[in-house]
Amino acid sequence: MKRYGDIVAVNGVSFRVKYGEIFGFLGPNGAGKTTTIHILSTLLKPTAGRALVAGYDVVREAASVRRSIGIVFQDPSLDEGLTAYENLYIHGRVYGLRGSALRERIEEMLGFVELEEYRDRLVRTFSGGMRRRLELARALLHEPRVLFLDEPTLGLDPHARTRLWEYITRLRAEKGVTIFLTTHYMEEAEQLCDRIAIIDKGRIVATGSPDELKSMLGDEVVYMRVSDPGKACKALERLESVKECKVLQGGRVSIHVPSAAQTIPELLEAAKNSGVRVVEVSYRRPTLNDVFIHLTGRGIEEESVDETERIRIYARSYFRRKG
Amino acid sequence: MTPMGWLDAVYVMAYRQLKHFVRSPSRIIASIVNPLIWILFFGMGWASTFRFPGAKALFGGVDYLSFLIPGIIAMSVFTGSFLSGISILFDKQFGFLKEILVAPVPRVAAMTGRILGDSLTATIEAGIIAVIGLPLITRVSFLGILYALLYSYLAAIGFSALGIAIASRMRSYEGFQLIMSFLIMPLIFLSGAFYPIRYMPWWLKLLAYMDPLTYSVDATRYWLVGVAQINPWIDLGALLLLDAGLVIVAGYLFGKMSLE
Repeated sequence: MKRYGDIVAVNGVSFRVKYGEIFGFLGPNGAGKTTTIHILSTLLKPTAGRALVAGYDVVREAASVRRSIGIVFQDPSLDEGLTAYENLYIHGRVYGLRGSALRERIEEMLGFVELEEYRDRLVRTFSGGMRRRLELARALLHEPRVLFLDEPTLGLDPHARTRLWEYITRLRAEKGVTIFLTTHYMEEAEQLCDRIAIIDKGRIVATGSPDELKSMLGDEVVYMRVSDPGKACKALERLESVKECKVLQGGRVSIHVPSAAQTIPELLEAAKNSGVRVVEVSYRRPTLNDVFIHLTGRGIEEESVDETERIRIYARSYFRRKG
Repeated sequence: MTPMGWLDAVYVMAYRQLKHFVRSPSRIIASIVNPLIWILFFGMGWASTFRFPGAKALFGGVDYLSFLIPGIIAMSVFTGSFLSGISILFDKQFGFLKEILVAPVPRVAAMTGRILGDSLTATIEAGIIAVIGLPLITRVSFLGILYALLYSYLAAIGFSALGIAIASRMRSYEGFQLIMSFLIMPLIFLSGAFYPIRYMPWWLKLLAYMDPLTYSVDATRYWLVGVAQINPWIDLGALLLLDAGLVIVAGYLFGKMSLE
């Protein structure tokens, strides 16, 4: 738990992350994601409660925690007046690496994030995506057991975002590092995370794999365009696997079923038997956003960008020179 | 953390400050041009005024330029090192500070490295000014320059620690103007860099002796032109005391610095 005066930033945040998995904290801005990361990375002391990272207590064994973790902060934290290589060199020396071992490691990490060509360029001249990649390389330089990524793709363009996702996915496959990331992008949580905790107003409201979370909502939705929607629904609602059938605009119906993949053949059969012609079929699994709406009553991404984030995004694009 | 790790952190943070130093020629030029303006315009102006018979006696037996230049060198060491200490605020604003706060090294080690690096750059600047100003000084010894730079380095340690201590308590550059008017200017005027302390009224003299810059000005002047108001050993003691006290205070305040 972390309290600022009377304001409780996070409370009732309890979770375990398995070795080697990518665990995501998904929630809107101000939910307490960054506060949690700052507590886990020993930058803030919890007002109450206990946290272990890599087996060490974040308060009593802060030094051991620090040696075991790498972190990419939400806001930029590179030295812009130095080159990519120098930023990594300083980090390495601070973490006890030196000599040829350090030099090799720097080259390896520059290669991993594909910045070798830019090694001797000042960070000031880097684009937002390049900076994030360099920060990722830096966080990994000392081979941490746990990697923290706080909103790793905030403010990046779609191309840079996809690229960063690739690195993160490769990390799990190649290095076996445990990753804890926060995001308020649904798609990011879904693409990257093995398990997700949905956090809202400083509390975890649900935990599970993306599939588990989505199946909380139970059914899937099948959309059909048919020759006679009214007649179709009447016929389909008689089926045992159909929970509900709604007539929509444009000659379409929506049908709630437990499993679309299994039910669709049955639906087509029933429609045909009742003399309804099916023009088009599609189905949609509930998204994490649907789950979030279900749990909290509102969406994550629909919320307007708050002031802090606007400044952050502005600050990032301001220092960007290249697309 | 092993002692080796400590040294690594000290070394690499000093390295960082030196890198920044060589990367910003405009800063180096500004830090040299400003004292030269003082020497040329302010110094030459008064030097031609103090040309009457007996004027040298006012400045301990040397002409005004010889009196002023060591003071200007000490002043540039002071502003240079103090402002680089303050510039830790940039690290806070641009985020690099977080990288240090989360590192597995004691913050004091990182801070010490920074202070040593900043002090070195301030001393290098002083050396350049000394070399340019030499032809204007009547008598000077090679060994004297080395001693003067050594004293400058000691003074720089204290002043850059002072900068860090103040910056640790500041949230932004908003308070900066205040520091400029209430700290930097008074310390410079009280230090005896521009005029002898000897003729000051007693209350001003009292303040002057409380100004750490006074001892740095006095020692620099002693080693460069052989004129001093205070014993150089006392200067040394005062500067060492300043260093010890301010490094401890800065270490404490910097250690307490958090993201909140």
